[in-house]
Amino acid sequence: MVVVFAMVAALYLNVTSRTAIAGRDIQELTDAIASSQQVSSDLQTQLAGLTSAASMKDRARELGFRPMEPDEVEYLVVPGYVAPQPINLSSSALPQLSALTIPPEYNQSLLDWLDENFSSRGIQ
Amino acid sequence: MRQQYVRRSQFLAGALALFALAIIVQLTRIQNSPEAAIFRQQAENYAYEWKTFYPNRGEIYDRNGRLLAGQKTVYEIGVDLNTVTDPHAISFAVSNTLGMDYNQIMNVLQSPPEGISYIVIADFVEAHNALYLQELKKALNDEAPTGSVGGLTGLQFKAHPQRSYPENALGSNILGFVNREGRGYFGVEEKYNDLLAGNPVQVLVPTDPNKAFEIPDVADGTTLILTINRDLQAAAEDILDDSLTEYGATEGVIIVMDPQNGELLALATSRRMDLNKFWNYDVVYNNATDFNPVISKTYEPGSVLKILTMAAALDSNTVAPSTTYLDTGSILIGGVTIQNWDRNPWGVQNMIGCLQHSLNVCMVSIASQMGASTFYGYMDAFGLGHLTGVDMSGEAAGRLKIPGDSDWYPVDLGTNSFGQGVAVTPIQMMAATSAVANDGRMVIPHVLYAMVREGRQYNVPAQYGGSPISTQTADTLSEMLAISLESESSLALVPGYRVAGKTGTAQIPVNGLYDSSETNASFIGWGPVDDPQFMIYVWLEKPSTSPWGSDTAAPVFSEMAQKAVILLDIPPDTIRHQIAAQ
Repeated sequence: MVVVFAMVAALYLNVTSRTAIAGRDIQELTDAIASSQQVSSDLQTQLAGLTSAASMKDRARELGFRPMEPDEVEYLVVPGYVAPQPINLSSSALPQLSALTIPPEYNQSLLDWLDENFSSRGIQ
Repeated sequence: MRQQYVRRSQFLAGALALFALAIIVQLTRIQNSPEAAIFRQQAENYAYEWKTFYPNRGEIYDRNGRLLAGQKTVYEIGVDLNTVTDPHAISFAVSNTLGMDYNQIMNVLQSPPEGISYIVIADFVEAHNALYLQELKKALNDEAPTGSVGGLTGLQFKAHPQRSYPENALGSNILGFVNREGRGYFGVEEKYNDLLAGNPVQVLVPTDPNKAFEIPDVADGTTLILTINRDLQAAAEDILDDSLTEYGATEGVIIVMDPQNGELLALATSRRMDLNKFWNYDVVYNNATDFNPVISKTYEPGSVLKILTMAAALDSNTVAPSTTYLDTGSILIGGVTIQNWDRNPWGVQNMIGCLQHSLNVCMVSIASQMGASTFYGYMDAFGLGHLTGVDMSGEAAGRLKIPGDSDWYPVDLGTNSFGQGVAVTPIQMMAATSAVANDGRMVIPHVLYAMVREGRQYNVPAQYGGSPISTQTADTLSEMLAISLESESSLALVPGYRVAGKTGTAQIPVNGLYDSSETNASFIGWGPVDDPQFMIYVWLEKPSTSPWGSDTAAPVFSEMAQKAVILLDIPPDTIRHQIAAQ
């Protein structure tokens, strides 16, 4: 009897501790995602600043370039050439975070689990 | 002896069992006592709390994917009052790094408001300053044990995003700005504030960190792609700045639009503000209309409005291009004599000559022939006096007085026909004149090209504001305007490209009287005439080198058009016709 109680207690302790660790992991991962997104946005903005119109004009001048005059333009007819279209930022391959659901193993207590199993078997 | 041990063991076991039983009984009693219910209720009250998840504000790009508005990381710097060991060191380090007042920080740290354990010293601190303080804290902690005097223990850093504009002042009148509370002001930031900001989500989360909870999916705010071409915008701003200097104008505007769909490609204004320093708003602008005069500032357009008068006259069959008119230099309307800009008679003129020489008397004559009802019906259809619906915040409707208004007089029919006595915005003139460039169909100018949300892009279709004139009228008038420019060898002509357009020189009313020395000089034109791909409006306020639009705004139009055809990859007419013939 004592052994049975000890086993149940140990099992309960194990499940509880694993749940707690998983909860902590989720919190850390959430923070990491938010942090990564923030860093990504920050770097993207820094890159945009480095390639801004004013920066690029200055860099071009430093490299010896100058604005083109209209009479210097030569147009060539290139068969099959398609003029560039405005940007398309859609990405169907983007991960759909809304589909994420925490499995019951991570938020269900041992008693909840027993209750669910007994209920599903019609045991009152 | 063995029996004795057995009894003792039994007694001991019994005693322990009784003790355990007593504990269980006591546990059960406590758990079911009235006090336990109170404690359980209190625990439940603090077991969960509402937490709001705010989405990241959507970004803004130009049509070629150049970032115009994004996010950068800034820091909130605060102090955990329970762990502070040396407030002097914190005050000294923070005040020196951030340029704050040492005594002010010391007062806050030594006499904090009651009941708080964390206090914010500074927010929106630039990353390099925050990182310097973090490194200083680490270096001091490495040298001295935690808690010793001289350390920055207790100083805390929380990173969070802040709106950032990598192009600084470029297109500031289009974008608007976001304040530190996250609200958009002016331009696109205000017009699409709700879309950009997204929807915050409130969730009940357990306060026990060991309990897992489902993280809500908070979609970022909608990202916007504008119709603006960043490089064309930069070129327009440069050309405008140079022209203000060259012609001594006080203010100015250059608009570049695709007349076939209303996409605004560039909107340059002379007053611009570094959006990353939005708190300088009061220094840069006198009032809200200065932020984007393209949509907010009304003025009398002058002779560019003759395009609309002639369009109405042609469309109503009042005149034809070949209709002649004897210009005597003056005409009487409503008891007032109207004269030409040079006060001279121009003799017999056809309608092309009327446009070419910008004859006020001719315009008054054909407006009189049309009659007020027809003339104002067309002006209303062209949208004068109405909002264009451009998607930027702060648009003004202008004013078109019509018969029946208490301040309308018969002479107004005459003055309105050549663009005086009517108040419009530059964007209204663009929208109205687009009907002539676009086969009679008027476009609604707009800056939003597409919206991107959760990885999906929705391209905004072009919208049209009706067809005030027929296709035939539009084509005829375009041809007349092109011929009139070519005939006078206008400074607006663009080598290699056939363009149509009209100058405007309007006197500025001051206290109800026209000032003869100060004018609004403008030019509106489009090209190539047979397939218009750009439409440009130039407005220079009070040019000092010459009051005439033909001397000031027209050459600016030509310069802008020459830059636009390069940046928009529009080949000269001969090349284009060769390509079309293949």
